[in-house]
Amino acid sequence: MSVGAYTERPGAKAGEADRFSVPWSRPRPKRPGVSARLISALTILVLLAAWTVSAHLQLVSPVFLPSPAAVWAKFVVVARDGFVDATLLQHIGASLWRVFAALIVAIAVGVPVGLAIGISRVGRGVFDPLLEFLRPIPPLAYLPLVVIWFGIGEPSKILVIAIAMLAPVALSTAAGVRGVPRERIDAARSLGATRGQVIRHVVLPSALPSILTGLRIALGAGWSTLVAAELVAATRGLGFMIQSAAQFLVTDVVVMGILVIATIAFALEFVIRRVERALVPWAGRE
Amino acid sequence: MPHLTLDKVTVHYDGQPAPAVERVSLDIGKGDFVVLVGRSGCGKTSLLNVAAGLVQPARGHAAIDGRPIAAPGPDRAVVFQNDALFPWLTAHENVAFALRLRGVRPKERARRADQLLKLVKLDGAGDKRIWELSGGMRQRVGLARALAAEPDFLLLDEPLGALDALTRERMQTTLLDLWAASRAGVLMVTHGIEEALVLATEIVVLAPGPGHVVRTFETHFGRRYAAGEAIRAIKADPAFAAARAELTEAIFEGETA
Repeated sequence: MSVGAYTERPGAKAGEADRFSVPWSRPRPKRPGVSARLISALTILVLLAAWTVSAHLQLVSPVFLPSPAAVWAKFVVVARDGFVDATLLQHIGASLWRVFAALIVAIAVGVPVGLAIGISRVGRGVFDPLLEFLRPIPPLAYLPLVVIWFGIGEPSKILVIAIAMLAPVALSTAAGVRGVPRERIDAARSLGATRGQVIRHVVLPSALPSILTGLRIALGAGWSTLVAAELVAATRGLGFMIQSAAQFLVTDVVVMGILVIATIAFALEFVIRRVERALVPWAGRE
Repeated sequence: MPHLTLDKVTVHYDGQPAPAVERVSLDIGKGDFVVLVGRSGCGKTSLLNVAAGLVQPARGHAAIDGRPIAAPGPDRAVVFQNDALFPWLTAHENVAFALRLRGVRPKERARRADQLLKLVKLDGAGDKRIWELSGGMRQRVGLARALAAEPDFLLLDEPLGALDALTRERMQTTLLDLWAASRAGVLMVTHGIEEALVLATEIVVLAPGPGHVVRTFETHFGRRYAAGEAIRAIKADPAFAAARAELTEAIFEGETA
């Protein structure tokens, strides 16, 4: 008998799962079969097919649910000729600009606030209740107040999105700061680092993976606030486009806009995951 | 010759009914290798943290040459069990960080960091990220970084605790080599009885409830290694086995079970 054929219990046949084995402790060979990704692709295809068939058989009026072909045709038309005085690209650009401007505001405010919550009792006492108060309020609820205070211009739109992004950025930063290993800080202090040096060279880099996770969640939150932000006095933007279309019952533009928003959100998620992997390759491997 | 002294130190943590350590005195001179051993909960790490300045004693005094220890400082570099290294930096940059805190200029920093990595036998691994290194290599980086502070005292909190047995053996001689090279006074906490015997010039046995000193041993096995004797020959010496039995007895003395 070769060494390779040796088993703990000679009665058990090699390769046969016996009832005493712990299934998760054994590296299983990858089964050739259906991957989750393929199942996802199939699900989408089936939904698309169902949509096409129901539109083709006119089970529902096109006003309620336009056919995929109509939506695609609208996509091409809007991309080329535009809708409500702007091309699709201009709408996307306006929305992306607002979301990223808001992200910068949220980082500029949220990271220091999170840091304060994480490192000082006073910071936690001051900001924790404020964030908990702000977090559950739907954007549509504070939108009127923001408009009253800051007018109908671009700043209020950015502010509405930034408010939605603030809590995830600040809370993730705080969690990251609180999660810094005590010993890492003590070691730096014993090497002679001052409090400021500890924060800059130890705490912030240690919290970076958590901060980036916060940014990813914030981008999602901000992007889903888009329609609300573009409710008042916008002339461009995906949210504005959808609302204008809805007012005239141009359902195909509404559906097309929803799909574009979803696609961009998906792409952003993908990009920021790549950024995470490039910036904090040590996360989860310490 | 600087002396680090703990004088009748009592450590009492907030919210705890009993002190963790009661009236423990220690004296570590430069060139000493003092090892604290004892069962869990005997306050070994608390004492080390007092020496580091990370914990303030409730009663008693911690001082270096009579100057009270009020805060951590680079004259007492600490190395922890779970490496407190920075994963976003390379091994070389981790060591250089300690030099940078001391205000060493970049060029000199790089040269010194190279030297220190060589001292811990990590030349060639300087460009590796911390998470690419094995446990033993990480501890070597931690030691190099601590030595970069050119401390009078090295405080080692179970520095080999997370390593496998074989790496541990090898790291023991590394520690002795570094101790001999730096001439620093060492205060180390360990669970390893053999490790204590191999390394120490003085072993302090603590017992819990609250932590107090049971016995102290003067040992010479570490000095024999420093004088050139092979580590395996030292461990095979009947005197080593006898010392080991005596130390084990002292640690488990009075334990019911």
